[in-house]
Amino acid sequence: MGQTLVYGILNGALYGIIALGIALVFGVMRYLNLAHGSFIILGAYGSLFLFHLGIDPFASIPLISILLFLAGAVLFKASFSRLTILPEGNKIKNSLLISFGLMLLIDNLATLIWTGDERSITPSYSGFTFGLFGLRLPLIGLMGVLLALVLISILHLFLTRTYFGKSVTAVSQDHEAASLMGININQTFLISFAISLTLASIPSVLIGLKAFSPTAGIQWFNKGIIVVMLSGIGNIYGVFPAGLFLGIMEAISVFLFGAPYREVTGLAVFILIMILFPKGLFGKRIEA
Amino acid sequence: MIHSKNVVLTTLVAALFVIFPFMVRSEYLLNLLVMFFLYVTLAESWNLLGGFAGQISLGHSAFFGIGALITRLLWVGKIPISLALFGGGVAAALLAGIVGIPCLRMRSAYFPIGTLALSMIAQITVGNIFPLAGSLSSEYIVGYSLSSRYYLALLVAVLTVLVVYQVVNSRKGLALVAIRDDEGAAEAMGVKTFRYKILALLISSFLTGLGGGIFAYHQVSYYYYTTFELSWSFLPTLTTFIGGLGTILGPIIGSMCFLALSEIFAISLGEIHILIFGFTFILIVLFLPGGLMSVTQWTYKFSFKAFKRRYF
Amino acid sequence: MLKVEHIDVHYGDLQVLWDVSLEVKDGEIVALIGSNGAGKTTLIRTIAGLHKPSSGNISYNGILLNNQSPHKIVALGISMVPEGRRLFPKMTVLGNLEMGAFHKEARPEKDKTLHWVYEIFPALRERSQQSAGSLSGGEQQMLAIGRALMAKNRFLLLDEMSLGLSPLLVKNIFEIVVQINKAGISIFIVEQNVPMTLKVADRAYILESGHIVGQGMAKALLKTAHIREAYLGINPV
Repeated sequence: MGQTLVYGILNGALYGIIALGIALVFGVMRYLNLAHGSFIILGAYGSLFLFHLGIDPFASIPLISILLFLAGAVLFKASFSRLTILPEGNKIKNSLLISFGLMLLIDNLATLIWTGDERSITPSYSGFTFGLFGLRLPLIGLMGVLLALVLISILHLFLTRTYFGKSVTAVSQDHEAASLMGININQTFLISFAISLTLASIPSVLIGLKAFSPTAGIQWFNKGIIVVMLSGIGNIYGVFPAGLFLGIMEAISVFLFGAPYREVTGLAVFILIMILFPKGLFGKRIEA
Repeated sequence: MIHSKNVVLTTLVAALFVIFPFMVRSEYLLNLLVMFFLYVTLAESWNLLGGFAGQISLGHSAFFGIGALITRLLWVGKIPISLALFGGGVAAALLAGIVGIPCLRMRSAYFPIGTLALSMIAQITVGNIFPLAGSLSSEYIVGYSLSSRYYLALLVAVLTVLVVYQVVNSRKGLALVAIRDDEGAAEAMGVKTFRYKILALLISSFLTGLGGGIFAYHQVSYYYYTTFELSWSFLPTLTTFIGGLGTILGPIIGSMCFLALSEIFAISLGEIHILIFGFTFILIVLFLPGGLMSVTQWTYKFSFKAFKRRYF
Repeated sequence: MLKVEHIDVHYGDLQVLWDVSLEVKDGEIVALIGSNGAGKTTLIRTIAGLHKPSSGNISYNGILLNNQSPHKIVALGISMVPEGRRLFPKMTVLGNLEMGAFHKEARPEKDKTLHWVYEIFPALRERSQQSAGSLSGGEQQMLAIGRALMAKNRFLLLDEMSLGLSPLLVKNIFEIVVQINKAGISIFIVEQNVPMTLKVADRAYILESGHIVGQGMAKALLKTAHIREAYLGINPV
């Protein structure tokens, strides 16, 4: 049981960091980026490529971050930026549609370039585990949790200590008022979007170290959006704990019912929580 | 209101499709047309909910899948195909009722995500319960007649188009469009928006279920979970948007283009048609929300105005 | 000087302002009065860059404002206190004020300006760590104005400041407006509270159904029959 919990926490951390990227974009500009998972997969391919060049996947994280940042900025400018003028309800719908199109583009481009085969990055330390209190702790998973926590701390410092970070917070609370402060909202949106993709670099590498295929993106998005809704829309800090919660719930269900039903149980928990706590576990009002 | 011009045109086209198998003996083409009718059914029924009622569903694969599953199980269980088809449609509508209604209760902007999540649940669940392919036993294979599939598919496609056309041109259709354009205003005017949304959902899912049933009837053997794959959700969204959201012809045109492109490129580059469509899709959402249909409307306006100016 | 010249403003296909012209010279307090729905807020929001006029020109000190984004207009010297205050609810008083000083020229002087704002609004200094959402109506209005002042601009747009405030608070706020104006800031104020506004303003324009129907020196307008009837409810004998 303890062992399953360990895996649950490790998975949960992964879900949490994926969800954070999605939540950031949604919190700041009310866009839902369906393609977030696809970007993660793209990063995984990037990491694989760098691995073949001899770069350790964890070391490739900064490079992948930069790559994803640029990709995000370019794609945002080309597509989403045109949505800023639309009213709230339309924004969400249209951002979903555009990100849907992006997802198809990225997934199929990836299939064309790299074929549909499943891949995985296999460094020498792949299976390495620590022993602690009789439990086995996989090195990669631990690194993942550590990096996730580091990243979240950096994000927090950024949002609360830098002027730009504070302006991002302002924009997410009232973007029109923010523009009256002299804040360039379009630029803020662009950079926030790019930052959210930078957050995707850690999942990229972690998933790269597991297994991935070109069309796997949507499944990871799914996990992410479930966590976001579990934590409650409008709440960035609840996202990571919500991710852990999902991971642990899944682990428990595997322990009780066996592996094939893991996905189903996770989603069933989601539906249950949505019915019982429509505002999410930690959330406040669902903002329109 | 049925415009006589439309009736004539539609009957002509339908008639063409009816006599087609007698004129052309190509199995390849007949299978292709079955797929076309399927796509049209899927897109047209999706469009009722997405284009006319404004609720973009990303979960129609669940309805397609369950229509296919139930139809297949019933038919292989010796129930005549027409009843089996009907059963499939009903199953889809039932699923829509149970699962789709809570989705409709969410803020309308989250409906797409809710349906997406649910279709993923469906895909995984069915994949777990029916991991193997279902094959037809020899008696079915021997008696397999492509033309009966063809005509059934045609029938379902025509039925779908007619039903959607009827609903859209009725008072219900007006209510749906009002809801799509401004739900708040519609509510304020006394339109029971929730009821109409449910209606659109149920009709849409039923017809999609029929489409699934056709697929199940048509395939000799297939993995049951493939009909639940998300690509069946994306297809109607893609083709309808490109053809023209909220129009009757739009889904048909979109399906035609999609099929044509996929056939052209299938031999050479595999999935590139999806790439092209995906790219076009983004362009359409950004710059041409009316899809291809709106282009024809401009040219129509243009030419009609020019005509008027010249002769009057 | 702010110049608005013959602007039309549309919401989609619906026209809401017709051929509106006005000007605010440096150091003036100019008011725009008119009943609900006349288009006052639309006008002031257009000046701030939140709407684009479909024709006509808006210029400040000779620079055209028409197609500029709101944040650029702030950089050009105009700040707005929006209707409903629009504070950042989850940020503290201090946080809100800091946001006000976001643009490039205001940032280096942030601390000095903060000191000045706290002098004008001592209550804000006491509450600096409180979240903006927890303030009272009057305090929120003060914060909103203070936040706009942090941008160190010489032109201030005030949209319906007195909404929701008690008469005493309204009097207070208007006194502060005069104080700010004396410090050299031109003010364009949109208001429903006609008597207070006309007492404080130098000149005023009257907007009805999207058209400017009158203008003049504020004190004189206070005395005209039209104003007294329409806005002060005083029936001519």
